[in-house]
Amino acid sequence: MSRDLVSGVFWLAVAIFAAVQGLALKLGSLHHPGPGFFPFWGGVVLGLLSVVLIVGSFRRGVVGSRLRPESSKSLVVIGALLAYLLLLESLGFVAVTFLFLLLLFRLERRSWTFSAVSAGAGAFASYVMFQLWLKTQLPTGPFGF
Amino acid sequence: MEIFRGALYGFQVALEPINLLYCFVGVFIGTLVGVLPGLGPAAAIALLLPSTYAASPVAAIIMLAGIYYGAMYGGSTTSILVNIPGEAASVVTCLDGHAMARQGRAGAALGIAAFGSFIAGTLSVVVLTFLAPFLARVTLSFGPPEYFALMVLGLTLLTYFARESMVKALMMAAVGLLCGTVGQDTISGRFRFAFGIRTLEDGLGLIPVIMGLFGVSEVLLNLERREETKEIFAPPTRGLLPTRDDWRSSAMPILRGSALGFFLGILPGAGAIIASFASYAVEKRASKHPERFGTGAIEGVAGPEAANNAAAGGAFIPLLTLGIPANAVMAILLGALMIHGLQPGPLLVKQAPDVFWGIITSMYIGNAMLLVLNLPLIPLWARLLRVPYTIMFPFILLFCLIGAYSVGNNVGDGIVMWGFGIVGYLLKKFDYEGAPLILAMVIGPMMEEALRQSLILSTGSFAVFATRPISAGFLLASALLLLLPLVRRSIRISDM
Repeated sequence: MSRDLVSGVFWLAVAIFAAVQGLALKLGSLHHPGPGFFPFWGGVVLGLLSVVLIVGSFRRGVVGSRLRPESSKSLVVIGALLAYLLLLESLGFVAVTFLFLLLLFRLERRSWTFSAVSAGAGAFASYVMFQLWLKTQLPTGPFGF
Repeated sequence: MEIFRGALYGFQVALEPINLLYCFVGVFIGTLVGVLPGLGPAAAIALLLPSTYAASPVAAIIMLAGIYYGAMYGGSTTSILVNIPGEAASVVTCLDGHAMARQGRAGAALGIAAFGSFIAGTLSVVVLTFLAPFLARVTLSFGPPEYFALMVLGLTLLTYFARESMVKALMMAAVGLLCGTVGQDTISGRFRFAFGIRTLEDGLGLIPVIMGLFGVSEVLLNLERREETKEIFAPPTRGLLPTRDDWRSSAMPILRGSALGFFLGILPGAGAIIASFASYAVEKRASKHPERFGTGAIEGVAGPEAANNAAAGGAFIPLLTLGIPANAVMAILLGALMIHGLQPGPLLVKQAPDVFWGIITSMYIGNAMLLVLNLPLIPLWARLLRVPYTIMFPFILLFCLIGAYSVGNNVGDGIVMWGFGIVGYLLKKFDYEGAPLILAMVIGPMMEEALRQSLILSTGSFAVFATRPISAGFLLASALLLLLPLVRRSIRISDM
C-alpha cells in the first residue's frame, strides 16, 4: 500500500467525523450560520481532497521511502514524554526531570555514572533557571521540591 | 512627515535601556537557535513566550522578533562550517558556503553572509518603515468580507508555495481550520470537539501545538537519522572582512536577494525558505558562469543569505497592518501581542504606537547588534557545535515539556504538545508539511468569524463577496492560483 493511500484513508475518516460532528452542532441558515457550519464544510473540503489523494495514489502506485522507524528510540522517547507528563504532578518537577534525563542518556548508551551526574546537574540547573529565576510555577512533589 | 515622527518616536522607545537589553537577549538567543541544528525559531519563540509575560508588551515583542531575525544570521554559520543547515532557511547556503570553507575561504563566506544579512535586514526594515503605516491606513477600510477574502487568498498562497503536493498542503490547511474550531464557539457559546475535556474546551493552545509540531517531532526524526561524524571546520580568526573582489561579485546578489526576499516574505507561506531558494536560482541564472555554483561561488552565499533576512522583515507587514500572520513565527507573535492585550491589525499603529514603532525601529538596532555580535562570536558557536546531539536532545525535550506546562500550569497542554509531536512526526513520514496546518489553525477562527459576520451583514447572500471590488479581486486571485497548476498539468499532458 502506498503512503498516500494510507494517509488519505486516515484523513477521509477524520473528515467524515468532523462533518458528522458539524451536523450535530447545527449548521444554521445562511442568514445565521450556526456553530456547526464551519466544521461541517471544513470536513467536506478535507474529505474531497482526501478522495483526490486516494484516487491519485492508485495511479501513481507504490513509491517513497520506508515507513518503519529505523530504530525503537523514537518510541521510547514518545513513551518517556508521556510518562513525564503523567508523573509530573505526583512526583514533582525535580524527581521526574532527573528520571527523564537519566533514561534518555542511558538510551544513547552513556555510562551510568555519566548519565546520573548529567541528569542530576540538568534537573538542578533547570530547577534554578525556571523555578527560582524565571519564577515558573513548577509542581512540587512529596519531597518538597 | 508622519512617518519620520513615528520612526523618531520608535527610536526613543527602542533605545530605552530595558528594551535595548531585551533586544540584545533576543538576537543573541536567535543566533544561538539559528546555529543549533534541530531547534528552529518557531519552537524557540513558543518556548520563550511564557518568560515574557512579566515584561512590557514592547519589550516582549522586541525580544521575540529578535529571535526570529537573529536565527537567520545564525543559520548560515552552521551551513558554512559543518554543511548542516542550522535553520531551514540556510539549507541552500550549504552548497556554496561549505564549498568555500573546503577551499579555505570560510572567513569570506561567513563575512559576506553576515554583511549580506545586515544590508538586506536593514533595507527591508527601511521599506517596512514606509510601507507599514501606509498599508495600515488602506486596510482600515476593510470589512468582514474583505478580511475573509484576504484570508482565503493567504491560505491559497500558502498551499501554492508548498514544496510537496498542493493537494496535501490544502488538506493540511483544512485540518488546521478544523483544529481552529476546537473549543468554545465565540458566536453561539457552544463547545466544539471538546468531548468534555477541560483543556480542549479552552481550544487547542497555539504554543503546545507549535512545540509539538516543530520541536518534539523534529527531535524524533533526528533520533532516527544516524549520527554522522560531523566535520567541523576550524573557525577562521581573520579574513572575515570581504575583499574588494568579494564585494564586487556580491553587491548585486545582495540587492536582488533583498528585493526578492522582502516581497516573498510578505506573502503567506512563501517566507524565508522559499526566498533563499529563489534567490539562489536567480543568481545562478544571472551569472555569466553558472557552472561555478555549487563549487564555492560567493554569489551563492550572498544572495540567499540576504534573501532570508529580507524575508524576515517582510513577514512583519501582514502582521502589523492586517493582523494576519504570514508564517508560523508570525502566528506566535500574533498570539504574543494578544496575550499582552493588543489587537494586531490596522488599528495597532493608532492604539499602541509605542509597540508598532518600537518593534520596527528595534530591528535597525537588532541588525546592527547582530553584525557586531556575529563575527566575533563565531569561535564560540563552532565550539558549541561540537556538543553531540545525544547530549542536546534530552534538554530540547525538557524545555518543550516545561514550556508547554508553564503556558497555563496544566498537564493538559503538555499532552496536547505530546499528541502534536506524534502527529508532526507522522506527517513528515507521510510527506505532509506542518506549516499550512499551523497558519490555518490561527487564521481559522478569524476566518470563521469574518465569514459568519459577512453572511449576517448580507442576510445570507454569498454575493457580498463578489459585489465588493476588493474582496472580489482577492477571491479571483485565489481561484487563479488554484487553477493554475491544473492548467499547467493539462498543457503538459497534451504535449505528450
